Amino acid sequence: MTPVQVMRGLKPQYNKRLIYTRLGYDRERTSLSPELEQEVERLLTLTENTLNITAAYRMVEIKRIDSPAIVLEDDTVLSGVRLAELLDGCDQALLMLAAGGSRIMDLIHRLQEENRMSEAVVVDAAASEITDSALDIVMAHVTTLLRSRGRALTSMRFSPGYGDFEITQQRDFYRLLNGEAFGITLNEACLLIPEKSVFAIAGIGKQ
Amino acid sequence: MTKKEFKKLFHNKLIILDGGMGTLLQKLGLPSGVCPEEWAIQNTELLIKTQSQYREAGSHILYTFTFGANPIKLKEYGLSDQTFEINRLLALAARKAAGDDVWVAGDISSCGSLLWPFGEIEFEEAVESFKTQVKGLLAGGVDLFVIETMLDIQEARAALLAVKELCDLPVMVTMTYEGERTLMGSDPVSALVTLQSLGADAVGCNCSSGPAEMVSLIAQMKPYARVPLIAKPNAGKPRLEKGKTLFDMDAETFASYTTALVEAGVNGLGGCCGTTPAYIEKVAAVARDLKPVKVERKPYSLACSNRQTAAIHPSLPFTIIGERLNPTGKKALKEALLKGDMETVAELAREQVEAGAVLLDINAGVPGINEKETLVAMVNAVCNAVPAPILLDSSNAEALEAALRIYPGRAVINSISGETEKLEKLLPLAQKYGAMFVLLPVDDHGVPETAEERIAIIKKVYDRAKKLGFNKEDILVDGVVMTVASNAHGAKEALKVVAWCSGKFRANTTLGLSNVSFGLPGREAVNSAFVAMAMAKGLSTAILNPNNEQMVQTVRASDALMARDLNAVNYTSLYAGQKSGSAQPQKEKAVSKTLYEAILSGSRESAGELARLGLLSGRTAKELIDQELIPAIQKVGDFYEKKQYFLPQLIRGAEAMEKAMEVLTPELVRDSGDQPHQGTVAIATVKGDVHDIGKNIVAMLLKNYGFKVIDLGKDVDADSIIHAAKTNNADIIALSALMTTTMSQMPLVMDRMREAGLDIPMMVGGAVLDKKYAESFGAHFSNDAYGAVKLAKSLMNSK
Repeated sequence: MTPVQVMRGLKPQYNKRLIYTRLGYDRERTSLSPELEQEVERLLTLTENTLNITAAYRMVEIKRIDSPAIVLEDDTVLSGVRLAELLDGCDQALLMLAAGGSRIMDLIHRLQEENRMSEAVVVDAAASEITDSALDIVMAHVTTLLRSRGRALTSMRFSPGYGDFEITQQRDFYRLLNGEAFGITLNEACLLIPEKSVFAIAGIGKQ
Repeated sequence: MTKKEFKKLFHNKLIILDGGMGTLLQKLGLPSGVCPEEWAIQNTELLIKTQSQYREAGSHILYTFTFGANPIKLKEYGLSDQTFEINRLLALAARKAAGDDVWVAGDISSCGSLLWPFGEIEFEEAVESFKTQVKGLLAGGVDLFVIETMLDIQEARAALLAVKELCDLPVMVTMTYEGERTLMGSDPVSALVTLQSLGADAVGCNCSSGPAEMVSLIAQMKPYARVPLIAKPNAGKPRLEKGKTLFDMDAETFASYTTALVEAGVNGLGGCCGTTPAYIEKVAAVARDLKPVKVERKPYSLACSNRQTAAIHPSLPFTIIGERLNPTGKKALKEALLKGDMETVAELAREQVEAGAVLLDINAGVPGINEKETLVAMVNAVCNAVPAPILLDSSNAEALEAALRIYPGRAVINSISGETEKLEKLLPLAQKYGAMFVLLPVDDHGVPETAEERIAIIKKVYDRAKKLGFNKEDILVDGVVMTVASNAHGAKEALKVVAWCSGKFRANTTLGLSNVSFGLPGREAVNSAFVAMAMAKGLSTAILNPNNEQMVQTVRASDALMARDLNAVNYTSLYAGQKSGSAQPQKEKAVSKTLYEAILSGSRESAGELARLGLLSGRTAKELIDQELIPAIQKVGDFYEKKQYFLPQLIRGAEAMEKAMEVLTPELVRDSGDQPHQGTVAIATVKGDVHDIGKNIVAMLLKNYGFKVIDLGKDVDADSIIHAAKTNNADIIALSALMTTTMSQMPLVMDRMREAGLDIPMMVGGAVLDKKYAESFGAHFSNDAYGAVKLAKSLMNSK
């Protein structure tokens, strides 16, 4: 496996519509006053400026895929039917991490303590979406690296906790990406602290 | 090739570049997993033959096949020590392919590892790495350079500086955009401003997208471009199918975008991944009948960070330059800088930008501090915190150079005066790094008293700068404000300088505003009056405290009065709810007419105020709650259920309700002796789960829909929940869990409740739960916060 590569201070592009969707916005039915729209915009900017996103990645050889099991070079076994489908034909996996840092959680907690819950909920949703979008940067960067070697990356990625790709597998990601080095802890229930942290996996194959 | 020859090459003519080489050579046998440059040297004849096809297709400039031939990338193949020779040989190969009538550009691209702060490679390490490559390419006889497929503007700067520090050959730089920004967040205008200021002779975009997407990128850059613009698109957007990357666009379709690109303002065209000589031949055929368009360049002064450009001009909204990152007279900042506490710096940057600062002045002048190190650290902290461009407020040449070198945008030096030493030391620095500068009309004799004397210095400094290639857009003239308390004509003389600059001289201006009021009472009023007067004379920018609301409102009002904010659109949006006679703008607008409306629109301030007015009008608290608050909050819930409101509106309704209840509750308690409630809910996030925002929203809504809520927090074990429920005579236990690993705590709590003989309903919620799971251990389920309120009500009703 390759060494863990780190990317700091990332400012990802993100889809605002996905943040609105997280908050229950319905394009056909929800009506927003211009003032509220302006307020949401202000909170998105505040979130962007408060997040301190670090990402990390490493490439790991896939020993074999025997759906739903994916056996990595160090005998780590990941499990998921759809994950196995995603990685089908790939000889390497890209393991990724994006972490929004502790400052954003401080802001979310402070807003809640000050009874500014409507602001907290927007910042919380925006922080999740923007942090996840940092993984797009990792994937685009790795795609560029791979292109000159005649190799390619799957366009999709999966994160533990989706479908049958169990959240408990965060333990393997945490170990392989050395989550501790990024100030992240993993509790007994396999939750990442600070909360705005996410792991993901994509496949690498021939171009 | 000289820079002059390069400029002439593009005069009134479209220049054709080459097309894809990597994808083409892969088709011709370049295997994956080998070093492409080494393979090309081993197959030189094939390389030359392929490159010659581009010359025959009509390319005026061929790129060397040295895309990855920098020592950092070659290290992957153990070839780092052969960087010079690889580049020399591949430059020689391109020379052969080019013949006598085509130019050869030495191709430099990303080193493959990210530069600090994104990655581990230090800026100077990257510069040195690129220099090794540049030396090899120069030895191979390239005519010019091209820096391409850059995702990070800082890496493009490192490569550009490497070339500039070794030769005077022209350099073209193209960035790669994913949508409207590069991967590391630069927009096309900021990239253009940064690169053309730093000395790029042509700027543009290549790779990642097809020609259609590049039309918009070129069109965005054109009004600000001082240099030719170039585009090298892929053969359409790449698509991954069965593990293979495919480019779908054929040569005919690719070439059909040529006219649109030319109309958008392109001066040089070629192709990137997926394109072949056939594509270039078609593009050249279309381009033969076209001329580059001439677009009138915007006369703005442009400073930028890596993510945002600030355009400055008297016709544009006034540019506020935040003054709070200057430690002079600011004890807390001074102490923070001495301790190296850059979080305070970042926070001050964020506060100022949020308050409306477009640029930030940065000063590290603390006695006894290492100014160079501190200024660089402040620049990095500000860059990471906000997208606003910066002014480097220092006269220390060493500190300025260190900051300018690593600043990933176009900074403004504050300032360069007519003093001999400053002219000699600082002007060349501004030139080398392409910085703008504040021209301070002060010379070796000090600050002139009169505007006429200051104007003479302005002319002298500008003449000197002009010889180094600066024009008036590159400067901001400081009018020099003297305090009126000690110099009665101090303000008037500064205003005369501003008027002359914005009128006859046609240069942008700035003022260090707060100087004017030193020693006077009511300084805010003096400063505000002065800024309005200066704006009437055409002042473009001022260094001021953007967190001073009176000052900022005066600026916004003056913008509207001077038609810099057409139809007062911005002013109205900022101050729409402000009452006449109010000195301060109101953050929240008390515009609701009734308490019902205030809850419905989520207006917290109005709700509190209208509840007070309701009581004053003689209505009881109970009447206000029954007739206005409850119907309103029910309507809010109804709107939310129908998706006419989204979650923030639902919560804002509850927040407004809370404000009204803060006013009404004491009255209610006085009238009835106790605050009535619909029931008591003990609420918690289960053990092991740290996500509590969902639980907090439910708790807040329950409170405002009339429940007494015992909030136990997050990560709470079963015994604590049961103990609290018993102690508080809870009617319901409400639990939240976000993950599959923590939801299993819920049945455990239910078991413990049964063991403890606690026979009350349990309601549960959380992202991964469903009704079936809840019912499996006897709990009730709600799938959102408002659903939880309705469920709690129904559980109380069925008691």
